[in-house]
Amino acid sequence: MSDAHHDHHPKGITRWLYSTNHKDIGTMYIVISMIAAILGGTMSWYIRLELMEPGIQFIDDFQFYNVLVTAHGFLMVFFVVMPAMIGGFGNWFVPMMIGAPDMAFPRMNNISFWLLAVALVLLLLSALVGAGPGTGWTVYPPLSSATFHDGPSVDFGILALHVAGASSILGAINLITTILNMRAPGMTIHRMPLFVWAILITAILLLLALPVLAGALTMLLTDRNFGTHFFDPGAGGDPVLWQHLFWFFGHPEVYIIIIPAFGIISQIVSTFSNKPVFGYLGMAYAMSAIGVVGFVVWAHHMYTIGFNVNTRAYFTLATMVIAVPTGVKIFSWLATMWGGSIKFEVPMMYAIAFIFLFVVGGVTGVTLANASADLVLHDTYYVVAHFHYVMGLAAILAMMGGYYYWIGKMCGRQYPKKLANLQFWVFVVGINILFFPQHFSGLAGMPRRIPDYPDAYAGWNFISSVGALITIVGTVLFFIVVWRTFASSEKVEANQWGEGATTLEWTVDSPAPFHTFEETPDMTGRQPAE
Amino acid sequence: MASTDNTAPKGGRTRNGATALVLLGVVGGMVGLSFASVPLYQLFCKVTGYGGTPGRETAEQVHAAAPGARIIKVRFDSNVNHNLPWVFHPVKREVQTRVGEEVLAFYEARNISDRTTTGTATFNVTPFKVAPYFNKIECFCFTEQTLKPGQEASMPVSFFVDPEIFDDPATAEVTTITLSYTFFPAKPEPRATAAPEGLTAESPGS
Repeated sequence: MSDAHHDHHPKGITRWLYSTNHKDIGTMYIVISMIAAILGGTMSWYIRLELMEPGIQFIDDFQFYNVLVTAHGFLMVFFVVMPAMIGGFGNWFVPMMIGAPDMAFPRMNNISFWLLAVALVLLLLSALVGAGPGTGWTVYPPLSSATFHDGPSVDFGILALHVAGASSILGAINLITTILNMRAPGMTIHRMPLFVWAILITAILLLLALPVLAGALTMLLTDRNFGTHFFDPGAGGDPVLWQHLFWFFGHPEVYIIIIPAFGIISQIVSTFSNKPVFGYLGMAYAMSAIGVVGFVVWAHHMYTIGFNVNTRAYFTLATMVIAVPTGVKIFSWLATMWGGSIKFEVPMMYAIAFIFLFVVGGVTGVTLANASADLVLHDTYYVVAHFHYVMGLAAILAMMGGYYYWIGKMCGRQYPKKLANLQFWVFVVGINILFFPQHFSGLAGMPRRIPDYPDAYAGWNFISSVGALITIVGTVLFFIVVWRTFASSEKVEANQWGEGATTLEWTVDSPAPFHTFEETPDMTGRQPAE
Repeated sequence: MASTDNTAPKGGRTRNGATALVLLGVVGGMVGLSFASVPLYQLFCKVTGYGGTPGRETAEQVHAAAPGARIIKVRFDSNVNHNLPWVFHPVKREVQTRVGEEVLAFYEARNISDRTTTGTATFNVTPFKVAPYFNKIECFCFTEQTLKPGQEASMPVSFFVDPEIFDDPATAEVTTITLSYTFFPAKPEPRATAAPEGLTAESPGS
């Protein structure tokens, strides 16, 4: 059945540059995510160093401070979490979990990745031309207009997001087509592993949300350069239109970040509890419900623009409704663990930490969903603490959990268990000391996106910065673990986790061969994957 | 896609291509919707009075509404964009009016530069929620205004407050409405020349 080129195993640089292999492209996505994580993380640590004490310590150019805040957000959202979860783990394991030999469009997969690399370069260039984009990741006009950000920086940023968006849209089309058309016989939609479900829903959200961002960015670009007035009130435009368009994209975007994490956590919890996931269909449709409701709650990001009371009541209610399917997921994970034969391997520790942190972020989310409370808390560190818990930390924990869960399958070697355990504890303690105090400074009224603050906020800010220092150690330890894993001579077997790991990727050798499932497996008689 | 022949178990490249085409159509549709949101958004504000967009009525309609007994205070606010070298302020800062009664108020604008300039005013009322009950009959903001160098002009606005404002539980408590105008250059000038000059011509409003 094979064409001749299927036996061809490319070597050297062309293996990566010209790659059409889903595993190689997935690996490249994970590498670019790690590079962006080092950049985005370093920026946040620099910010925390500045905020460690009141007064100005290191950053006396406040535009540069704003550029750091902006770049940190863009990098973490578009170049760390999305590439790792969707491009990285999605590329690697969606085809393997559904028994397909590769993605539906292997060459489109290649262009998706290289567009992302170009976008990263464009984003970094935006900080080097002119004063840099100091708009925040939300790019609100009029701050982002030509009046307040002249020079090409914001235009470079817009172009970077356009290109990254094109990359993600192509990737989403590829994943949806693969999942819809290329499942092994017998693997119906209702028998797919939950990670595949998660990626399918994420890809649909990408397809619906990203074009809206692209449209809004195009309007901003023409406002800045070609004399249109979409967001210019002087000529009949309205800056609030930007906020509506941005958050119509922006709110689904946070689910684009967290739903793949749901998928990874479901696989890990089930594997290490040695049980199928409790309430499989409930889990799948809870994710779908979160995706649907996620499109009709966007205005809870902009309660302060002066909505009337009925609009506020609607968005408050709709936002709180999301807590229901989210609660279904949390309780189903706990019910999966309940009565299971739990093994506390490092991926499972990360999964449990994910559930804990996600609940903390979810609870503060319900607080913020109240329009009346949000008027007070809007743009304070309480919001910063909330979204870092619910999507930043939760996503990064799921990514690290996924890394430990699958690295044996990806490289064929065993990670150093003791070191990984230490890395887990240092990292999780660090991020909690870093972000938990921000709830308190936020409730006390500390505004976000400022390089200096009144002395009254000094205490919690100092503790938060100490947490950042611990997190640096945890992050360095992670990269030491990566290095020790690849340097290790200890091989892992095909199914290193034992009978709890039931999905198809565990049926092939470790490391996974260059080509897998060229013979489509028949899933008709077998137990549903999860 | 060369390798899809043997990657798709049932259907192969045509089926994958059809799926991708449909998905591309979804992307195109969403881009179209985001641009369609611009006129839709303006229409929405006009129809619902959203964001403090007042209604526009004819003189006949004002007489259809029976004047109510209650008095409401209307304050006037004025702003000028720094790119327009005008001084612009209301003649009276506020009026007391019976709801349902037609009110005529005046603003004054003066061009303080040595060239002819054209301005256009945007407007809204606060609190935003009263917008559906605040109706303009005639207003200088409906058209562009041109002032010769040094010219001064009186700019009238006539409006009435719908008596039903006191029947709506959300707006019954309102005692003061602020009508606000901001004058912008009608045709924004190239920013390289406009910005520095505009800074010197900035006016505090009133």
